[in-house]
This record gives sequence, structure tokens and C-alpha cells, in this order.
Amino acid sequence: MSKFAIALLITVFGLSACGDKEGVVVYKQGSYSGKTDGKPWENAAFAGDKSKWDNSIRARGQNQNESKRIGD
Amino acid sequence: MARMKFLCDSERCIECNGCVTACKNENEVPWGVNRRRVVTLGDGLPGEKSVSVACMHCSDAPCMAVCPVDCFYHTDEGVVLHDKDMCIGCGYCFYACPFGAPQYPQSGAFGQRGKMDKCTFCAGGPEVDHSEEEFKKYGRNRLAEGKLPLCAEMCSTKALLGGDGDVVSDIFRDRALKRGKGGEMWGWGSAYGKPEPGTKKPEVKS
Amino acid sequence: MLIKKSSADSNTARRGRLSRSIQGTSYSAQLPEAIDRRTFLKRSGVGIGAGAFASQLPFSMIDKAEAMGSKPKGSDAVEIKRTVCTHCSVGCAIDAEVQNGVWIGQEPVFDSPLNLGAHCAKGASVREHGHGEMRLKTPMKLVDGKYQKISWDQALTEIGTKLLDIRKKSGPDAVYWIGSSKHNNEQSYLLRKFVSFWGTNNCDHQARICHSTTVAGVANTWGYGAMTNSYNDMQNAKAILFMGSNAAEAHPVAMLHVLHAKENGAKIIVCDPRFTRTAAKADQYVRFRSGTDIPMIWGILYHVFKNGWEDKKYIDDRVYGMEKVREEVMKWTPDKVLEATGATEEQLFQIAKTMAENRPSSIVWCMGQTQHTIGNAMVRAFCVLQLALGNIGKSGGGANIFRGHDNVQGATDIGPNPDSLPGYYGIVPGAWKHWAAVWGVDYEWIKKQYASEAMMTKPGITVSRWIDGVLEKNENIDQDSNLKAVVYWGMAPNSQTRGKEMLEAMKALELLLVIDPYPSATAAMAAKARKDGVYLLPAATQFETVGSVTASNRSLQWREKVIEPLFESKPDHVIMYLLAQKFGFEKELTKNIKVTNNEPSMEDTLREINKGCWTIGYTGQSPERLKLHMKNMHTFDVKTLRAKGGPCDGEYFGLPWPCYGTPEMKHPGSPNLYDTSKHVMDGGGNFRANFGVEKDGVNLLAGDGSASKGADLQFGYPEFDHVLLKKLGWWDDLTEEEKKKAEGKNWKTDSSGGIIRVAMKVHGCHPFGNAKARASVWNFPDPVPVHREPLYSTRPDMVDKYPTHDDKKAFWRMPTLYKSVQQKNKDVGKEFPLILTSGRLVEYEGGGEETRSNPWLAELQQEAFVEINPRAANDRGIRNDDWVWLKTPTGAQLKVRAQVTERVGSDTCFMPFHFSGHWMGEDMLQYYPEGAHPLVRGEAVNTATTYGYDSVTMMQETKTTVCQVVKA
Ligand code: SF4
Ligand code: SF4
Ligand code: SF4
Repeated sequence: MSKFAIALLITVFGLSACGDKEGVVVYKQGSYSGKTDGKPWENAAFAGDKSKWDNSIRARGQNQNESKRIGD
Repeated sequence: MARMKFLCDSERCIECNGCVTACKNENEVPWGVNRRRVVTLGDGLPGEKSVSVACMHCSDAPCMAVCPVDCFYHTDEGVVLHDKDMCIGCGYCFYACPFGAPQYPQSGAFGQRGKMDKCTFCAGGPEVDHSEEEFKKYGRNRLAEGKLPLCAEMCSTKALLGGDGDVVSDIFRDRALKRGKGGEMWGWGSAYGKPEPGTKKPEVKS
Repeated sequence: MLIKKSSADSNTARRGRLSRSIQGTSYSAQLPEAIDRRTFLKRSGVGIGAGAFASQLPFSMIDKAEAMGSKPKGSDAVEIKRTVCTHCSVGCAIDAEVQNGVWIGQEPVFDSPLNLGAHCAKGASVREHGHGEMRLKTPMKLVDGKYQKISWDQALTEIGTKLLDIRKKSGPDAVYWIGSSKHNNEQSYLLRKFVSFWGTNNCDHQARICHSTTVAGVANTWGYGAMTNSYNDMQNAKAILFMGSNAAEAHPVAMLHVLHAKENGAKIIVCDPRFTRTAAKADQYVRFRSGTDIPMIWGILYHVFKNGWEDKKYIDDRVYGMEKVREEVMKWTPDKVLEATGATEEQLFQIAKTMAENRPSSIVWCMGQTQHTIGNAMVRAFCVLQLALGNIGKSGGGANIFRGHDNVQGATDIGPNPDSLPGYYGIVPGAWKHWAAVWGVDYEWIKKQYASEAMMTKPGITVSRWIDGVLEKNENIDQDSNLKAVVYWGMAPNSQTRGKEMLEAMKALELLLVIDPYPSATAAMAAKARKDGVYLLPAATQFETVGSVTASNRSLQWREKVIEPLFESKPDHVIMYLLAQKFGFEKELTKNIKVTNNEPSMEDTLREINKGCWTIGYTGQSPERLKLHMKNMHTFDVKTLRAKGGPCDGEYFGLPWPCYGTPEMKHPGSPNLYDTSKHVMDGGGNFRANFGVEKDGVNLLAGDGSASKGADLQFGYPEFDHVLLKKLGWWDDLTEEEKKKAEGKNWKTDSSGGIIRVAMKVHGCHPFGNAKARASVWNFPDPVPVHREPLYSTRPDMVDKYPTHDDKKAFWRMPTLYKSVQQKNKDVGKEFPLILTSGRLVEYEGGGEETRSNPWLAELQQEAFVEINPRAANDRGIRNDDWVWLKTPTGAQLKVRAQVTERVGSDTCFMPFHFSGHWMGEDMLQYYPEGAHPLVRGEAVNTATTYGYDSVTMMQETKTTVCQVVKA
């Protein structure tokens, strides 16, 4: 079954099974139709500074490398 | 650009479930819903191996492709998230997912499926960062604190690695080189596709 | 939203495995066939395939959790409190995020050199303690078979009156005090003092039944009863042999160091009756018959001797009695070893070779070796192997004895032990006088608290035998009265053997007092056994107070208070103070300790410990130094534990004891014991001169040229006292002040610390002398370890060849049986043909009530089970997942799930020991105080375990007994 066929089926199923859903959501196949999400650095901690965030993530990543802490 | 990935080193994993309870702790996931779990192969037999499994945040995510209401999205960091307000609990993503990641709490008296829940890479969801709403629906947003998923950060043997794909595969490659053995990188191939030429992906040995 | 909400009909939801019968679709298609029930279906509660849709089990506490614990990190300030996991002796550090007094988050402490941020399931879930609902919330009293809430005032008054009454009627020895290895150091220490002022030595704690044989065996071999090296130091090992330890489940974060070592080339060997998760990571695994550790070790040592792999110079310089061992070992030819253990010559040769060719090689043991009637001998056999290989006192070598509870080492060192005051001073009059002086109380006053001076110097009953203290005929016990009251202060009853008889003992008591954050199985058993006479007092957890905790590697860490005590709970030391008030000795208890709102200062308590515990070097670890270490964890090296620069420069993390002398002397702590390659002021040392200078004409002191680096005396010497100092002409190195206090004293009793200072700092010598380790411990029943079959054995042929000890009369105040039990049960194998052994699950700790009350853990292991080999199962018509009855010779029978697995051999069954709350088929839910039952309940293996105690320490036999399994 092609992906498209599945998608179709599901759409039908989805609509019929959820009669109590508010009718305002417009389903547009293939693109996200939910609420938008912010960037992880767009908050008080990073004040939009992406490189600061990148550095923080990289540093945390190295915490999982025990060789770094052990020094061998 | 950081591209978030998980990698579980089966040579290291001891099935201690630290990752599982770390996830429960950080995201207050209720009893019966398991965003992460540990699977053991050949239990009790020589060659026994364990691997910790959750949503892998696939590059080309099958869950996303089949969702009838298109509630999934890929963040710029490669994290696959979804909008619970849209989710209709149909279960199709579960069938599509190669890792069995999506979970459905029972809701209501007739055992109806609730909204799908799955690992968020500790990145919350489509609500204001650190808001009450975000926490209740999706759990903690560690990425927005500049931290990585707690399961990986707390793994008892540092078998489970999570974070920027390049960093994670570097750590793993160094380790594999040292021990002269790759270990199974279970699921890496199906989640992130074949290693692209020229990129430094760790070797996949079976 | 759904993720947070529970469905309305939660009470009708079925707890337990949720999707056992459902087979997978997409997920299972990904995996090879062999996913077993335990690891997947049962644990996930969601499981494979369509199981993902199965009903969840919501609990009321999830809403509660939401209300209390799970706030997003909003704008309010978040405080970070640094504490330490309370679930095992690895000592993993935890940063708790606290907002407005609520514990909202838990962060890994990557800086900690011990765990580098890592946690197992238990450590990763400790925040649940911060809002857990299944706690004991108020004092309670059993009235007419039901627990009723009462006030603290009423509880303390009634308990105080009753205990004083019993004391008056039957004497102070009629009350038995069970302390806890989960108390912090200060509380453990205060409890020993408290019990002394009550006037008895009848006190004990978990160490009795976990590593007492280790402590006695190891201390008598070379000096101190503790892990010689550290988890970290195992990174320096080239080979590691685990025997009777399943570190992957019992000490998971230790595996971080072990697997790192393995990746650097270390060979990992596991010998165990069960193919454990640790075995799954090993290079070599050897299965052997439970209880035959000595033949195994002698079988290995046989090849060492035969091939000349022993370290001859080391033995000459540093070991006494190896020739006697050799005689015994060479009797264990490979055929005899095979007959006893089931291990082949080739397997053991391979182990010997690996250990010899990859030095330094290390060994690890835990309760698999200790919990036997000959545990004291088994652990010494292991020590002897390491001495023969020259591995003790070497980085990368050592005897790495993993302790259990987070503070079992500390509680052993300075806590409520029946045979010793804090610091292993013993209970001879000299020890009492030393401590009376430290406490600032009159020796005569303490004496008056006791029934007599004889009772003051007689070791008390052990926790393993308290039931006999109640039930045994009065004329057979070595004290005036039988036990009339028992206090369970942070201990689980299901961790002691012979549970069936324990219930009888509970019935016979006049008073049972339980002090615990979780009411524990004790409360439920008591309510099953009786209608009244039981009180429960809610204690605070270690996250709700401050104090120090000693990890297995002897490092001390200071915990900050994360949150205020929840509900009406109070910290243990507050409860001690309040009870002391009732008994009228609160002033004596806290003479040197500041008390605020009934709370004795933990810092002052540690300072008092510092002033008294010279023997084991609990003197240098002032609260200030410990707190500095906690703040500067990042400066410590992971492999050596030593600080490079920073405010703790040169010190070892947590000032691992012995940290000799006064804090001002700045001893750095001792990372690896008995290490002659370092100066004593760098943490070096040598074996202890604790057993005289010669035995039957043979010199016991170290050989010439064998001493710690830079010592002025480069040969063996006895321990330091004022006479030796004078003889050596070193007396004048003392200050005038020190001389006054040191006159007539030895290094252990000199309250100025001057003798220690002069020996160590001025002359580089070890205050405890420099002697040989003893391969033959002449004061033990079997000086050279000898194999003896367990009392309940499935092998009558082995019983004939290797019979047990003779019965003993007054041993720790109790008659103790060996041969009579073994002979009576010689053919027990006909009816009970399977060996029953027990062990750990990673999700739970000890008796398990605390961890089984934590939903994040409880969800992962929902039922008690028995592991049985497919061959044994098929012979009995048992299939995987069937309900079975497990029966033992005590007449007890346990209803558990069968887990059919090759993990155990066909002669052996394994049960985890963390369950309680089911009693021979009955769910005890109704007996728990309302709202304070553990989420998961199951059969306790110890309800069914049999009689049997170690011949030195009264350790209980749990690891080798017998059973039969039948389909239920
Ligand atoms: S693992 Fe499953 S749920 Fe996660 S992105 Fe891939 S398909 Fe989707
Ligand atoms: S915490 Fe690490 S070692 Fe433990 S189960 Fe998870 S991945 Fe495996
Ligand atoms: S139980 Fe032990 S290994 Fe697990 S987190 Fe706690 S201290 Fe660490």
C-alpha cells in the first residue's frame, strides 16, 4: 500500500472516529498544521544567543564522554 | 547546526533502567506510559545484550508521514515533536514507527486511546518554553535550558548517548576504536539512514 | 492533558503485568525472538505491539505529584542542593533543584569523581522521595489490629513509659535496638551512644547480615575491615575477578569504571552460580555450585602455586602463614574441585593464568561470599589469593569489597554494633573509658545504666538472632531476661532469615516500635501477628536532613538538606533526642553537641566523632573539610581520586578513612590501603600490627626493607605508644601540651593526636605499626579456610566429606547449632532437591519497601518471581510465567511466578530478596497502615529461608539452602 493510500485511509478514519473534535482544524496533507514552537535559545536563559546555546549543548555532550573527565 | 541523535552502545548497556527512571523523573510520565525502555536480547544466555530504546527522532520520520492530521514537526535541531492538541489518538504513527516509540494512555471509561505521547528529546513541545502548559503536555524542556535529555545524561555506564549527532558519533567512535569493537548501534541505520559519504559516522557492526 | 491525567476508574484497574498475552507487531518484528518476559513485557507495563494501547494504571499519587513536585522551572529562583544517593555504597552525587521548598528537578553531577553524573534506576528516581505519598505520615499505634493516627506527644509518652517499665521489670537488656545502615554517620554514632546510655549492647544494623563476615575476616587478615581500594581504582586493574558480586545490578555505576577498564584491556572474570548481568559483560564466566567458594578459590590458587605464579618476595616480606595455606590448597586437586564445585581444571587454570599474567589484578565480592555459615572463611580465602599474587596494597589490585547500603560502611565503622563502641574500640573497660572521656560523661555513670559490668563488656545479641532472643528458652540464653521489646529503626524484617519464626517472635513481644520513613513490612507483619503493642514513628529521609555518609571506598561525603521533612516526619537524631528526654539522659547524650529545637547539631556530632575515632582515622574529616570537597568535586582526578590544585590540593576525594590525626594535621586520606609505594602523609601505608609481634616463635612484623615510602623505620615495627616513642627518642618531638595528654597512652587513646603526628608527619611511620598480613588467622575456628558444606545441602556425599562445625553454646548470647542441624537434614535433598539462592534486582534496594513505594521503580518490577532452569521446570511440568509454590524445609511455601531461564543451572533456583507484603499466598495489604503500603508487594524469600549462622559473626545463611518448586 502506498503511503498516499494510507494517508487517505487514515484521514477518513480520523474524521469519523473523532466526531467530537472541534471543527476548526484544517488538515493539510504533508505539512505540519499545529501550533508553532519557539527556538530553544529564544528564552530568558539564552536571550536569543544561538552560539551561546550551541556551546552549552556541546559542553553537555562532552559530559557523556567519560574519557574527557578521566583524561585518557 | 546541531542535529540531535540518540545512540545506545550495547557493549556498555547493563540494563540498569537508569535511563527509564530518569525519563519518568524529568517528565513526570505516568504509570503505564514508557517513553523509554530497555530491551534485552538473549536474556540469561551467553552473549546477552541490552539496548535502551525510545523515539530516535528519525531523519525521515515514518510517524510524520502517516499522521492523518499532520500533528508532527521536525525542529531545526532534528527533534521530532507533535502537537497534542491536534493528535486524535488514532495509533497510526505507532504502526509506522520502526521503534514502537509512540505510547497511548487509556482515557475515559471505555478504554479509548488518549493522545499519543512519546519521547520529546527533553525538548518540550509547541507551547511557551518552561510554561505550565508545556510541562503538563510534554514534560520538561531541557534543550531550552541548554541541557541534553536526562536519560542520556544520567546513564549509569554512559552507554546511552544523546546530543549533537557529530559529537555523539565521535564519542562512540573513539570508544569503539579503543576496544577494537564497534558494538551494535542498534537502530542507528533505520533512524538516520545510511552514513553519507564523507561524513564521519561511526561504523555499524552487527 | 492526557499525559498528566489519570482516568477516573483507577481503583478497578489491574495492577501488574499489563500486556502479557499480546504479541507484537511492528516493534517485535525488529527484534530477534529472544526477548524475555522479565526484561520487556513485564517491565514496560506497555510492552510490545498493541500493548502500547493497554490500560495504564493511574494512581492517586500522580495527581499529588503534580501538585507538589512537578512544576516547570518558572521564574522563581531555583536553589541547587548537593546531596548523595541513598540507595547504595557507590555514593553517586545528586544536584537537587529546589524551588519554594519543593524539589522540582534532579540534575546529574558530572563533576563527581565517583559517578561522573551517572545513575542507575534507583539514583535516577530519588526525587520521588521529595513528594512520595506512600510514606508513613504521622505517628501511629496499633489498636485492635488496626493502625490509628496519634500525636507525637502521645506516642513519645506512651513509648517512653512502656520502655522504662520493661527496663524496670526485666532490665535494660530486654530491649533490642535495630539501627540502620541508612542513617548517616552522625546518627549512627549517636545511636550507639544512645543505646549505651540506655544500658545495653543489644543493638545491631544491616551490616551484620551483609558484610559482617567480610569485616571480621578482612580486619583479622590485614588490619581494617573495609574495601581496600576504590571503584575508581579499578580503572587501573588489568584483570578483575567477580565472585559473589553482581555489580551490574547491585552497584551499577561501579560498572562505569569496570567497563572503562575493560575497554582499556582489563580482563573481566565472573564466577557465580547464576549467569548474572555482570557475567554478560565478562570475558570469562564460570558457573559453580552455590556454597563452594573455598574449593573454587583453592582450585585457582592450586594452579598459581603449581606454576610458581605466587609473588615470593611479597609473601616473604608481608605475609604470615602462607605455607599452612599451601598445604590445604594442594589437597584440592582438580578432580576434587570438580566434584565439589562443578568447575573444570581448564576453567580454573584459565582464571589463575589471567589473574597472574595481568597484574595488578583485582577481586570483587559481595553477599554471594559473605552470607554463609562459613562466610568468614570464604572471604579470607579470597584475601589469601590476593596476598599470594601480591595484589594487596597496590593500585589496580586490592580486595574490592562492595558494601551494600549507602552508609553501611559508616554505620559499621562508628554505628550501633553489639560488640564495639564507635571506631572498633571494642567494649572492654579501656574502650569505655576512652569514649566516656570523649563524651564528657562519667564512666561510673554509664556503668550504672547497665545491668552489670559483665553485661557492659559482653557482646550483645545480633540482629540475625533477635527472634531467638525472644523465643529461646530463658535458661539457654546468656542474659537475664528474654527480649521483651524490639525497636526497628530503619531496617526491613524481610532481610532476615526464618521469617516464619519471626512472626512468632513478634507475637511474643510486649512492645514493637518501628521508626522509618516507610512503615515497612515490619508494620504489616506486626499487624498480622498481634492486636496491639505496636507503634510507628515517621522518620525523615536523608534528603530531609544533613550529615555525612561513607561510601564503600571509605570516602565521606556531606549531604545538604534538600527539603524540610515531609508530613509529620522528624529526622532520626531528633527522635533520638526526644526519646532520650523521656529516658532522662538527653543532657549526657549531647554534652558536646549544640541542640536547637530538639535537633542535635550534625556538625558538632561529627566533630565529636573526630575527637574519638583515632583507630580508623575518622578524625581528620572535619565538617569544614568535607564541605569543601563537595564544592570542589571537579578538582579531583577520577583514577587517583586526588585533587590537582584548588583548595583541596593533594587530598583524596572525601578524605577516605583512615584520614589520620587532627584535621589540622591535614592528612589527605587513604585511597588504597596498605600501599607501601606512597609516603604515609600521601595516603600510603602497610599492614597493621594488631596481633602481637610474634606467634609461636615466628615473627609477625614486616620483613626488613618492607615499609611505606620514606618511613624512618624501614623494617617491621609494632604500633606506637608512649613507651615506643620514648625508646625511639622521639618523645621530645611532642609539644608540652601533647606530652601531658599522651603520657601513658597509645596512638588510639592519645586525645591530643600527638603520637600520631610525630609518627606520621615527623618520621613517616605508620602509627598502627608495620606487620605482616595473616594468611592463617589463628583466633578463628578455621585458621586456614576449610570448605564445609552448608547446613542444608542437596549433596549428602559432600556433607560426609566436608562436615560443618560442632554446635556452640553461648555464642553472641545464643546457643548456635551446626552439626546437629546438618545431620538431621542430611537427606533433605530427597524432598527438596533444588538449591535456593537469592540476590538483587537493580530497581530495588534491601528489603525493598522504600523502593517498591516509588512508582517510577515499582512499575519496572511488579511481581516476585523465581528463576528456574528449563530442565528443572520441564521435569515439574512448569512453564514460563506459571504460578508456582516454592517450598522449603521450614514448612513455608511461597507463591511466585516461575521464570524459566538458563540464567540458573538445573540444580539451582534464584529469588530476588526485595519483596515483601505477601505472606505464603496471602496479600497483606489490609495489614499496612492506610495509604502507606508499597505499590508492589510479593513474597519475601526470607519467609522461607532456613537456619544457619556464620561461626564468627553470626551472619545468616541466605545464599545456599534448599527448596522444591511445584506448580500452583
Ligand atoms: S522513532 Fe518512531 S516516533 Fe520517533 S521519529 Fe522515528 S518513527 Fe517517529
Ligand atoms: S541507563 Fe544506560 S546502562 Fe542503564 S539501561 Fe539505560 S542505557 Fe543501559
Ligand atoms: S544506587 Fe548506587 S549506583 Fe545507583 S545511583 Fe545510587 S549510589 Fe549510584
